[in-house]
Amino acid sequence: MSESCKVSSERRGDVAILWTDGYINNQGGEEIAREAYSQLDQGARALVLNLEKTRIVNSIGISILIEVLEKVMDRKGALAFCGLTPTIDKTFRIMGLAQYAEIYPTQEDALRGVNPQPA
Amino acid sequence: MTSPAPPSSAARLDEIWKRVEAALGTDGPLPARVAQAAAIATGARDATLYLREKDAWVRTGETVPAPPPAGEIPDPLPEGIFVRDGNLWLPLSAEGELHGLLRLCDLPAGESPENATLLAFLLGAVVATHRLSRQVRDAEFELKARLLELESLYDLGLSLGGQLDLSALADEVLFRSISLTDAGKGTLALFEESGALLLERSVGGEVIGAGDAAAWKLPEEGVINNAADTVPTAGMKLANCQKCLAVAIAVPGRRAGVLAVADKESRDGRVLDFTATDARLLALFANQAAGAIETARLHKDAIEKERIERELELAAGIQRQILPRDVPTVAGLEIAARNRPTRQVGGDYFDFFPLSGGRLAFLVADVSGKGVPAALLVSTVHAAVHLQIDEAKTVAELVGRIDRHLQKYAATRKFLTCFFGLIEPESGTLRYVSAGHNPALLRRSSGAVEQIKATGVPIGMFPNAAWREESVVLEHGDELCVYSDGITEALDAADEEFGLARLSRLMTADPPAKICDSVFEAVSTFAGETPQYDDQTLLLLLRS
Repeated sequence: MSESCKVSSERRGDVAILWTDGYINNQGGEEIAREAYSQLDQGARALVLNLEKTRIVNSIGISILIEVLEKVMDRKGALAFCGLTPTIDKTFRIMGLAQYAEIYPTQEDALRGVNPQPA
Repeated sequence: MTSPAPPSSAARLDEIWKRVEAALGTDGPLPARVAQAAAIATGARDATLYLREKDAWVRTGETVPAPPPAGEIPDPLPEGIFVRDGNLWLPLSAEGELHGLLRLCDLPAGESPENATLLAFLLGAVVATHRLSRQVRDAEFELKARLLELESLYDLGLSLGGQLDLSALADEVLFRSISLTDAGKGTLALFEESGALLLERSVGGEVIGAGDAAAWKLPEEGVINNAADTVPTAGMKLANCQKCLAVAIAVPGRRAGVLAVADKESRDGRVLDFTATDARLLALFANQAAGAIETARLHKDAIEKERIERELELAAGIQRQILPRDVPTVAGLEIAARNRPTRQVGGDYFDFFPLSGGRLAFLVADVSGKGVPAALLVSTVHAAVHLQIDEAKTVAELVGRIDRHLQKYAATRKFLTCFFGLIEPESGTLRYVSAGHNPALLRRSSGAVEQIKATGVPIGMFPNAAWREESVVLEHGDELCVYSDGITEALDAADEEFGLARLSRLMTADPPAKICDSVFEAVSTFAGETPQYDDQTLLLLLRS
């Protein structure tokens, strides 16, 4: 597995999809936060984080994701996760991320979830 | 937070509070709202909030809070409210602890310093409350992280219990170890019983070559913790790691692997020491991995055993198909024959070939090897004999043809011992070739037992070998006994062989079928519970 986590994103209307590839640790979390804040600053209302290429998340990464979630909630936006391994899914649920962010099996489900009436 | 407000200021405090409350009720992160509330309450053009975080100042207001530029905050900090560069600075304290600083720019002329004092009092309480709630949240996060560790151990135990793929097993253990210790890197190596590297998985680090068990020099106690200078001698395969934690994966009798994580992360980018909890957690993961490795190995052994069982079954099936089910009825002869295969399936073979003129050809053969290879060789010999029997004019020629057939078609260099005979019941003449086979016994009607020795080397052993054909006459009442070495070399508990003498003594004047029963019964009694590894074959031929 590569050392650094790569993050890419794409806007679909007012939803930004962020794809992660690699370990979500301090560095990976910072990459996600940077990309997420950039999208929010550019007017994204909701974020979908697709983690299908991530197999490890540590507590630093989770705390950064919580910060991102708080930022989204401050702006009355929405955050959804998809493509989680069973281990990461359970981790997010235990650590409370699933309390305020929805977890969906697929990206399509997540997009429908954060944007119930697509244009 | 509970410091009493000046009693004369109650009305003014109430007025400021209403302004602050309105501003705090807006959207956005709390530090930004506090700054905004201060600006609204005082009419300042701009307000900046600095928070005291772990003995350092952090300027809020940007998307990501950052330390202020050097010199922006006076050092040392003046006591109480102070004015600097035309800006009003308010220390935000509660319970005697300084939590933040508020900088107000361009206050309107005539703004009362008393208002600022009240504002500092109020916002100090707000920031302290916010900080307290954050501490509660952090404590809750820690509790959840501990719960996650317990859940992970439980889940890992469950998933590894059924995990037979060592590669997947290694990933599962490594990923969880890295994740739960907040390590930046990690590696897991598993070794063969010989100590050679079986597999190595790595995350976040460059693996420097492959290493065997000896390269991973862990101390006796099996743990290395935070000792950067010992990392190279510990065999840590991750390049550029500062601090590592490594534990042995021990299975009964050997070190089956090493699990190591390195460079524990912190939120501020520093590399932390691994804690005793990390070491305990890693040791627990290593224990679970060891259990799973043992399970996987036992499963592999069981599959191998099952494969051998199936192979033996197949071999036994081949042999059963080839051996004759009944002995032929030939005028002037009484015949009995039996084969008792062992669990290992050797390669005994006997057969009869009734020929013209009342003659009978027969053979007893013992091929080298065991299991499927032996059974296939028997099959090849069986086919060769059946193909060549009508072509050959003499027994010796037939044996030669079989030999050439084997030299040409047998997949591997295999050989067999064989007694091949052709008897004319009318005259009692037996022509035979004994290709390296055990001496046959000829019991004369007088009771004397003669041995018929080999007349050549085993078939298939040497190229261009030749066999001498000999003959002997069986008088009425004489009986020939041809057998495989599974009879005479049957072992008892004391490792003694049944032997030719015991077999000779059983060659009585009884009918062949009865002698056959006696011999097999005697061999069974002799061997007792001692396992036998060779097929036992006996062929008896009495000239009546």
